[in-house]
Amino acid sequence: MSDTPVLRVRDVRKRFGDHVALDGVSLDVHEGEVVTVIGPSGSGKSTLARCVHQLESIDGGAMYLDGELLGYEFHRGHLRPLPDRRVAAQRGRMGMVFQQFNLFAHWSVLRNVIEAQVLVHGRRPEEARREALRLLERVGLADKADAHPRMLSGGQQQRVAIARALATNPRIMLFDEPTSALDPELVDEVLSVVLDLARGGMTMIIVTHEMSFAREVADRCVFMEKGQIVETGTPEEIFDNPASPRLRAFLSRYSGRPAQLSGEHLLEEEITP
Amino acid sequence: MSVAPPTMAPQAGAPQAVDVAAARPRIRPLRWAAGAVLLVLVAQFAWFLVTNPRFEWPVAGRYLFDPNVLRGLGMTLVLTVIVMLLGSVLGVLLAAGRLSGFRPVAWACGVYVTVFRSIPPLVQLIFWFNLGYLLPRIPLGIPFGPTFVSWPTNSVISSLTAAVIGLTLHETAYMAEIVRAGILAVDGGQRDAARAMGFTARQSFVKVVLPQAMRVIVPPAGSEFISLLKGTSLVSVIAMADLLYSVQVIYNRTYEIVPLLIVACAWYLVVVISLSMGQRRLERHFGKGQR
Repeated sequence: MSDTPVLRVRDVRKRFGDHVALDGVSLDVHEGEVVTVIGPSGSGKSTLARCVHQLESIDGGAMYLDGELLGYEFHRGHLRPLPDRRVAAQRGRMGMVFQQFNLFAHWSVLRNVIEAQVLVHGRRPEEARREALRLLERVGLADKADAHPRMLSGGQQQRVAIARALATNPRIMLFDEPTSALDPELVDEVLSVVLDLARGGMTMIIVTHEMSFAREVADRCVFMEKGQIVETGTPEEIFDNPASPRLRAFLSRYSGRPAQLSGEHLLEEEITP
Repeated sequence: MSVAPPTMAPQAGAPQAVDVAAARPRIRPLRWAAGAVLLVLVAQFAWFLVTNPRFEWPVAGRYLFDPNVLRGLGMTLVLTVIVMLLGSVLGVLLAAGRLSGFRPVAWACGVYVTVFRSIPPLVQLIFWFNLGYLLPRIPLGIPFGPTFVSWPTNSVISSLTAAVIGLTLHETAYMAEIVRAGILAVDGGQRDAARAMGFTARQSFVKVVLPQAMRVIVPPAGSEFISLLKGTSLVSVIAMADLLYSVQVIYNRTYEIVPLLIVACAWYLVVVISLSMGQRRLERHFGKGQR
């Protein structure tokens, strides 16, 4: 294994109009590492995930996947944006799981998991189908292969979305608040799939509001606020010995909550100042 | 107990005695009145149709399958299908252009839609038919440079080409708006997911966005198809032998105006009803997986 991180984010800046969403974010993620990103709403966690996946363009800084510059290339000594086809290929090497699942509504579950393998990675349809069924088995939904996404519960849709993202053998998986849109009783089934991936050695960035999960699954935990990474460290450092007052203030709002794999506290958290 | 008024429902206080399944429907006098009025109107209209000799039903029946009428019907159908195909393809391109991130293209497509939605198709038909006055020869060559070949306009612009050009330009503008509305109705997360899977912009448009937009596009596009079919009757003013023009040719000779208009109406009705049925099947097809 080389020293090159799978993902390298260097001083990335992003603004939406007057709002600074990312204010110089740097982050390295190494092979097999699981990084969880926590922070209050509007801290830039989701924007970071979307920028890494090039769903949003960045205004400054640079990002590398396996040492390869993302979204740009050198041409006669100058940087210029890559053509759409090359950007698409780079995206195809990462997996993304969205808060709102975003399964393709006009396709069956199986086709959702098959299509990118065939279209983007040129696999033979029967091979893609076998792989899709294997992954659906892994997330416990092989019996739903022919169902349409609308017929599934939120938790089931999210598990299909994970299988879909895994189907193209991504180098890194990005989770953008994967359980925030779920009913509380459906959160655990999704988290257990993610936990299973982490134990399998998948490199991952997980943006989440699930504090106990963020602690349990992480090799390293990142706290963001106002578009900056305020603190980064092992789960123990972050949750037990927070150095910055901002992190302490953030965590104290979660204190006294039962430490379990459950999303019920989230609903209250939005209201409590 | 005997103090209870005798009009009170039996055992009104006993809950187990009531079962709404045994309820009888209410009598609604206004509905019966509306039904009666409707019946009278229909009967009156039918009586008018049957007893008025000037409809000349036998004449209409004789011309219904007249070869000239059928040829006109064929021309109407061919023209409708050509224009609809061209209009749909160009409309999709124009809609994609309007949503393009490249401003000049989006702007140009917007201007096109505004201009061609504003000009009545009848005006356009006459204009294109008379293009030869504005542009006597149609050149092919380098813009502002030398011309390689040119053709006399009046030999290129027949009534058919004028009709196809005029109606297509009109139809494209309307289809572009219908398609654009359909595209905008697709949840942005679908495009995000497609891009995230590594689809190129074109793959995500063709494979993910457009098929889902179809659910929203089909109903108004079906109406558009139907109004285009009827709109083709305008081409009779530039002497193109469509359905209306064919019956006009006949009644200008025989003066049997009403029965021949009935022949035309009957065919329009038949075609539109079959189109509506096709539209419903399409809607079911594209509606699957949704709701």
